[in-house]
Amino acid sequence: MRSQKTRWLIYGLLFIAIIISYSITIQLKVTPSPFVKKTFEYMEHLPPQSVIIISFDHEASSLPEIKPIAQIMLRHVFRQNIRVIGMSLFAEGTAIGYDMLTKAAREFGKTYGEDYLFLGFKPQYISAILGMGESIRRIFPEDYLGNRVDSIPLMKNIDNYNSIAMVISIADGDRAVQWIEYAGARYDQKVIAGLTAAMITTYDPYLNSGQLYSLVGGLRGAAEYESLYGKLGGGNRGLLAQSVAHFFIIILIIVGNIIYFKNRMQSKGMK
Amino acid sequence: MAGKSLLFLILIMLLFTNLSFSSDGTPQNSSWFDINTLATLIVSLIFAAIIIYSIQSASKGKGIQIREIPGLKAIDDALGRATEMGAPVLFTPGWGGDVQRPTTIASMNILSTVAEKTAEYDCRLIYPTHDPVIMAVAQEVIKESCIKSGYPDRYRAEDVFYISSSQFGYAAAVDGIISRTKPASIFLLGTFEAESLIMAETGNSVGAIQIAGTDSTIQLAFFIVACDYTLIGEELFAASGYLTQNKSILASVRAQDIMKILIALFIVIAIIWATIDPKSAWWKF
Amino acid sequence: MRNKLPLIICLISGLIMFLQYFSKHPVSRAVYSSILDWWQIIFAFTLLVGAAAFVKVSLKGLQKKGEGKYKAIALAGVVVMPILAIIGGNKLGSPFLWVFENIQAPMQSTVFSLLAFFVASAAYRGFRARTIPAAILLISALFVLLGRIPISEYFSEWFTRIMFWIQDYPSMAARRAILIGIGLGSLTTAMRVILGIERTYMRGE
Repeated sequence: MRSQKTRWLIYGLLFIAIIISYSITIQLKVTPSPFVKKTFEYMEHLPPQSVIIISFDHEASSLPEIKPIAQIMLRHVFRQNIRVIGMSLFAEGTAIGYDMLTKAAREFGKTYGEDYLFLGFKPQYISAILGMGESIRRIFPEDYLGNRVDSIPLMKNIDNYNSIAMVISIADGDRAVQWIEYAGARYDQKVIAGLTAAMITTYDPYLNSGQLYSLVGGLRGAAEYESLYGKLGGGNRGLLAQSVAHFFIIILIIVGNIIYFKNRMQSKGMK
Repeated sequence: MAGKSLLFLILIMLLFTNLSFSSDGTPQNSSWFDINTLATLIVSLIFAAIIIYSIQSASKGKGIQIREIPGLKAIDDALGRATEMGAPVLFTPGWGGDVQRPTTIASMNILSTVAEKTAEYDCRLIYPTHDPVIMAVAQEVIKESCIKSGYPDRYRAEDVFYISSSQFGYAAAVDGIISRTKPASIFLLGTFEAESLIMAETGNSVGAIQIAGTDSTIQLAFFIVACDYTLIGEELFAASGYLTQNKSILASVRAQDIMKILIALFIVIAIIWATIDPKSAWWKF
Repeated sequence: MRNKLPLIICLISGLIMFLQYFSKHPVSRAVYSSILDWWQIIFAFTLLVGAAAFVKVSLKGLQKKGEGKYKAIALAGVVVMPILAIIGGNKLGSPFLWVFENIQAPMQSTVFSLLAFFVASAAYRGFRARTIPAAILLISALFVLLGRIPISEYFSEWFTRIMFWIQDYPSMAARRAILIGIGLGSLTTAMRVILGIERTYMRGE
């Protein structure tokens, strides 16, 4: 019963701390990490009209953390006049991906079918990733809006990873790992991941081995990218709340240990 | 059977490799064999040979002992507790995997043992899943286990069900089931992603004994904090050998250790080599 | 034969998938592409099976006391979303997308956000310096937590440096060792299935 009360106290305090931090505006200083810089530099130097795939491999649940990453990267690629093929390996990522891609494209006055395209969702991610290495139009004969892929100007001369400069997987789980392990290992496709903070360490081995080209992780990654791009957005807004939550957990750990040692000393004294 | 399979495999590979070279020995462009995958092929064949040799020699030799795995040893206690309390047992394979994933297959092996015992103890087993194929396979596994235990009538098809392919839709539903049915024991064995801690903490809050295991290194950290027992990495794959004491399966676990020693040796040699000759790259493939 | 046929199919399928990895020949690629197509088709049918099973279980649950209301909501979702997609399509501004963005997405984000609360309570319970290794783990965790937030840069840039060091060396080494074990475990499990030693997935016959 006591542990349940403690649990609810922790939940309540964390809730209040986050609500307060979201309601105040403080601009935090962020220094871009090497991998965010590497991603940004890659996009800066990619020749205009290059084609990249952005796969929205996430669900609606992680949107508060994923959206700032996706938005800033989409803005950047459209500013660089890079052409984008959008898709999703999650049913839920489909509607979100289409929405974010279309809104970002409209901001930059891009034309559907020429500058960007959304292929939609494909289940069975492994077979979809592998199949696209053989033929994209075989896996996606039609786009999300029901147009024949063959008739779309952007897809002229593009049929597999050979014509794709980069795959960016915006993921909240290990779907980007599948891109690395299947598109990367089998078809030498370069992959960048945009990830939730909780997933970053999972990708460290791939990053160190060079199998993953680079990554942008969590709200901090989004905020760093925003600072490089020169326009602040959702990443910066969420960063304060995240920092407060981290501090709260640090305090909890310290308090937990103080209580633990106090109890231990008391029980030793009793003995 | 295993020896014949290996011979068959090697013969095909030899034929396959042979077809990839022209008469003067140079690799062909549209050849049957992609020469870039040669290193992978050699390593795969060595590993396959080790596994098959271990299985063959085990069938002739003495039994193999593997170390105690506390998480698997605790299965009996967990099920006994559920029976005493008259509360159900919940088994989830996680949200991240599909049926062809080795982790899911390993999880099915443990499910088989758990289902056999729950049928024997007349304890309710709830199995919610995110994948319709996993649901179908789990139904078969549980049904078979009930038959094996001698109580086919204790199989409840409605307790093995598909919920949703959505990660947090699934997590929310499992949390709801845990909160309402208050299971005495929870098995979290399979492929887990961010939903792992949500489920494990809910299980912890209802006071269930929790046995977890996954192949995701990041989720292992969460399970270790929130669960009573955690199968780390390959312990999950060794489970079927440990639980059934099947000689062939135990032999394949031993083969796994031999391969691990070989990899460790290779790493040590490569480290020494790279330290002495930093320009060397033979160990990169 | 009833038992042997699935094993033979499994062996042949396993061998084909293994062998095709090493070939770039057009015939091999064509076979491989066809298998991938079958895979997609089979999955589409299994989704139907899943949906039917879900509806069946939910309909049964409707009559149960306590569970009925949850099942009714779940069933309503199954019925309403496809109808909205069929009637209004899935373009920007469609009712389907509106429901998705304004109902489903916030609900799912709420469940995801529970993670923060659970991490906090698990950290409070779990991170205790009971032994020296536990104390080392605790101190490492504190550095990683501090290193991840920009506020730490106001105090010292060493927090970030130490965080990267912990992640890149001790943590990475441990994770790689576990990953190698998992990889080998997956390999042996796959081999056991292909060779017909592991049969639990087909009722253990």
